[in-house]
Amino acid sequence: MIKFDNVTVRKKNHILLAGVSFEACRGEKICFCGKSGSGKTTLLTTIVGAHIPAAGTVCFKNRPLSSKNILSVRQSVSYIGQEPVLGAHRVLDALMLPFTYRANKHSTPPSERINGVLEQLHLDAAILDKETNVISGGEKQRVAIARALLLGKTVFIADEITAGLDAQSKNAVLGLFRDAACTIVSVSHDPAWFGLCSRFYFLDRGRIVSVSDTPGAVIKTS
Amino acid sequence: MLMEVMDIGYQHMLLIYGLLLIPLCICYVLKIAVIKEFFTAVVRMSVQLALVALYLGFIFRINSLWVNLLWILFMICIADASILRSSGLRLSRFFPVLFAGIAVGTLLVVGVLVFLAVRPEPLYDARYLIPVTGMVLGNCLRANVISLERFYATIRKNEKEFLTYLLMGATLSEAILPYLREALKAALAPTITTMATLGLVSLPGMMTGQILGGSDPAVAIKYQIAIMIAIFTATVITAAINIGFSLRTSFNRYQVLDKSIFAG
Repeated sequence: MIKFDNVTVRKKNHILLAGVSFEACRGEKICFCGKSGSGKTTLLTTIVGAHIPAAGTVCFKNRPLSSKNILSVRQSVSYIGQEPVLGAHRVLDALMLPFTYRANKHSTPPSERINGVLEQLHLDAAILDKETNVISGGEKQRVAIARALLLGKTVFIADEITAGLDAQSKNAVLGLFRDAACTIVSVSHDPAWFGLCSRFYFLDRGRIVSVSDTPGAVIKTS
Repeated sequence: MLMEVMDIGYQHMLLIYGLLLIPLCICYVLKIAVIKEFFTAVVRMSVQLALVALYLGFIFRINSLWVNLLWILFMICIADASILRSSGLRLSRFFPVLFAGIAVGTLLVVGVLVFLAVRPEPLYDARYLIPVTGMVLGNCLRANVISLERFYATIRKNEKEFLTYLLMGATLSEAILPYLREALKAALAPTITTMATLGLVSLPGMMTGQILGGSDPAVAIKYQIAIMIAIFTATVITAAINIGFSLRTSFNRYQVLDKSIFAG
C-alpha cells in the first residue's frame, strides 16, 4: 500500500530522512517512534507529498508518487496531524470543509452520520455550533479525527493523535481505529496506541535504527 | 469656458520652495532627525519631475505610435521591478510572469478608455495615452505590491493550514482560494475607500489639474470618473492575473510553496 525505498529528504543542508525504507501493506497498522527531531513527522508528511525526496522512491499502491498522481493519493488518504488545523470559524464548517472540495463533494455526509461519528468520539452535537477557537485542545483533536473519519478513507496517516486526549476520549478513538479495517501509518509515544499496531520502527536522526513486532523490543534495542 | 493656464514664474517657484523653511524650522527646533531625508526628498522630487517635464515634452512633440508604445513598455518594466522589489519576491523568477499580467490588465483597460471612449486624434495621442497609462499603472503597482506580498506571506505563515487543505483533497486552486480572497480584498481596499470618499475628502489630482488647466468642471468630472473606473478595473485584473500567473513558478510539483521564491 505505502512503500518507502531508500528515501532521503533534505532541507537546505540538513538531512531530515536518510535512506529510509519500509512498507505498510493493506490493512496493516504500523507505528514510528523516536525522539523529537528524529524525522517522524517528516516521514509521515512525505507520504502525502509535503516533501520531495532528494533520493529514493515513495510508492502508493505500487505507483511512485509524482505530480500526476499526488492529488489522487491525497484524496485516498486521511492525514491527522499532531496539532489539528480546523481551517474554519465554526466546528460544523470545519467538519464540512473537505466536502466543499470537488474531490469530496459527492460523499458529503448526512447529518445522521455526522452525529453518529461525534457520538462515537464522545462529542456532544452542540459542539457543531461552537466557534473553533473556544473548544479545548482535546475537542479540536477529536473534531479533526471526526473529519478524517467522515471522509470515509481506508488509509490513515496519524501523527500523535491520542496526545492531549483524556482517558475516555482516548479509549473511544482507540476503539474506532481498532475496529476499522484500515491501513494506518502512525507516529506515537502512547503505550495505549501501541496496542493497535503490529509493527514498530525506531527512528534516530532520520534513519530507521530498529524494527520489531513489539514496541518494548524496538525501544529497548535502540 | 476655456481659460489660459496660469504659469508660475521661476521667482514665484522660489517663493513656494521658501514655504519649506517652515517645516524645516519645526523639525530643527523639535530635533526631529529627518532633515537629511527631507532635503534628499525635496531634491529628488524636483529633479525627477524636471526630467518628467523634459521627456514628456519630447514624447508629446514626437507623438509617434512606436515611441508611445516603447515608453509604455518601459513604464511596465519599471512597475514590474518595483512590485517585485517591494513584495519581497525574486525578480529573476517573476519578472516575465508579472510583465504579462500587468501588460494584459493595463493595456486592456487603457485601450477601452483611450481608444473607445475618449477617441483622441490620432488615437495614440501621447497627451492622452501616456498620462492615462501612467495613472493606471501607478495605482496597479500599489495594489499588486499588497496583493502579492499578502498572498505569499500568508501562505508561508500558515503553511500547516495550507497543507491541511491539500491533504483534505483540495486542488491547488481550491487550497489557495482563502488566501487569494484575503489578498485581493486587501489590495482593493485603498481604491474602494478612495472612490467612496472622492470629492468629499479629497479633490482628485486629475480633476483638479484639468480644472486648473481651464477645463469645464463637468468634463473634468467625467474624466475623473472614467479614470477611477479604469484604475479599479485594472487593479482587479492585474492583481488576480498576477497571482494566477505566478502560481506555476511558486509551487513545486507537489503543490507545496517553494520558499526559494522569496528574495533575501
